[in-house]
Amino acid sequence: MAFKDLRQFIKALDKTGDVVQIKQEVDWDLEVGAIGRRAYELQGPAVLYENVKDYKDFSILGGSLGTFRRVAIALGLDPETPVKELYAEYERRINQPIKPVIVKDGLCKQNKLIGDDVDLYSLPTPYIHDGDGGRYIGTWAFEVTHSLNTGWTNWGMYRFMIHNKKHIVGWPRYTSHLGMMLHGEYIPQKKKMPIALVLGGDPVYQMVATAPLAINADEAEYAGGLRQAPVELVKCETSDLMVPANADIVIEGEAYPDRTAQEGPFAEYPGYRMEGAKNGVLWQVKAITYRNSPIFTTISLGVPPDDSSIAASLTAALAIKRRLLRHEVPITEVYVPPYGVTHIVVVGVKSGGNAVAKQIKDVLTARRADVNKIIVVDDDVDPFDFDQVIHAFATKCHPIRGIFCENVEAPKGNPLTPAYNSQERRAYRGAIALFDCTWPPELDRMNEVPVKNSFDTMFPEEMKKKIIANWESFGFREKK
Amino acid sequence: MKKQYVTFVPDIKDLVENSEVTLTIKDLTPGRTKYDARIVKAILSSNAKRLPEGDVLQVRSWTGVLYPKPWTIKVVKDLGDSEAGLPHGETVKAKK
Repeated sequence: MAFKDLRQFIKALDKTGDVVQIKQEVDWDLEVGAIGRRAYELQGPAVLYENVKDYKDFSILGGSLGTFRRVAIALGLDPETPVKELYAEYERRINQPIKPVIVKDGLCKQNKLIGDDVDLYSLPTPYIHDGDGGRYIGTWAFEVTHSLNTGWTNWGMYRFMIHNKKHIVGWPRYTSHLGMMLHGEYIPQKKKMPIALVLGGDPVYQMVATAPLAINADEAEYAGGLRQAPVELVKCETSDLMVPANADIVIEGEAYPDRTAQEGPFAEYPGYRMEGAKNGVLWQVKAITYRNSPIFTTISLGVPPDDSSIAASLTAALAIKRRLLRHEVPITEVYVPPYGVTHIVVVGVKSGGNAVAKQIKDVLTARRADVNKIIVVDDDVDPFDFDQVIHAFATKCHPIRGIFCENVEAPKGNPLTPAYNSQERRAYRGAIALFDCTWPPELDRMNEVPVKNSFDTMFPEEMKKKIIANWESFGFREKK
Repeated sequence: MKKQYVTFVPDIKDLVENSEVTLTIKDLTPGRTKYDARIVKAILSSNAKRLPEGDVLQVRSWTGVLYPKPWTIKVVKDLGDSEAGLPHGETVKAKK
């Protein structure tokens, strides 16, 4: 069942004890950010701030998808759904996209500030971390942009902060889909790029916006697949962009091709604050529309876990899996552990060796190398079980022959990689390391490959069955 | 009552004293418009006594770390909302 709006999702969170509703006054200036951060670090619930200083007509929701439990609830599943099953269900639904439907009106049109009435300070945008460059309006929101050349509409999640009353400045990556449209189409034609920033609505909207889907992919269709019902889209007031009708807040504007402003710094998803930008992507806000009693969605990014590392665990893993399968790499499963903040990925393979490892590295660095460490494991290792992965890494990865390192040329590198230096980050240069934790296929299976020593591999089947059947009668309380 | 601003600088040496410099400042006056950004031409001093008519300027590094001692700023001219330039200009430059 799809959530008709964010309120219905919050009710579902409330039913399972996965949201705290704070009624006492909290300050948008650091307090919301600090409470949200501590809640993540204690693996606590989502937080609904119902009484925000200076903004009595708005609430703020932080951490809507900050745990796998809440992702399961967002997908209408049992909150206890194991991560592996969550991955499988996410994949099943993404593979069944549903086309959006166009509607004439929607909740997000209940209030309109257009032209001279636009005032970004009418929104309860939090100042999240002490030392950030400004109030970040785009943290758990997504941007809608449209290709001039192909007609493709993209949803992406990029950071944006308030510059002043009528301007927003941000730092979508140069190599992001938004960056590609801006630099490949709008700037050469000296045209302003229409943009819409969407907050709230069904929580799967933000989730799908984190997904590194292929160029020309329609995120609205995938969001439909995830919620198992079409997304209702409504036209913006000042452009032809289409946005979800049940969004809480929509901010419309135009990005300049030839004007800029300072952006950042901002404490980002890898858990660190890196440099600000001298030349951010600046846009003038033309309209703000919002539903009655709107809920402003935000996240207090930092060390994992948070919504970014949790949602991207699923969305990045499936994107990587699809890419590898498209190139016929013999993979079993892909896991992006939240604590690896999408910088590390574990790839399970049916058969390993240097050739497969090189193929994986080449595929994952073809356009962008967002990941900088790849761990490849055989199919006797569960990529989702980090104890098993570390064991394989410790024992099977040869310190010389099992490690492949190379530079990633500009602009393929991930500029939000704390390990890189400032020059590398600014130029989008980088590096990648692959750790091959598989047995080379050329080894003689009978004489050269060490035999794994575990309950599963070291004992006859009959013996194992008998022991499992008698487990509790021996006096063990653990599961069989 | 002196106003308070903050600026972010890639290098503290970018803050030149006693001559007009262009910089982005954020207003720290409490209230809804706190952190509002302006691009200004201003005179700066690291010593408040040398610019007694100036306001307080907190200085943060490019990664947001606060320098312990505030500077003083006297805004000479507002330069508008934005500057001419290419979005991602420093990346485009660094790539070359």
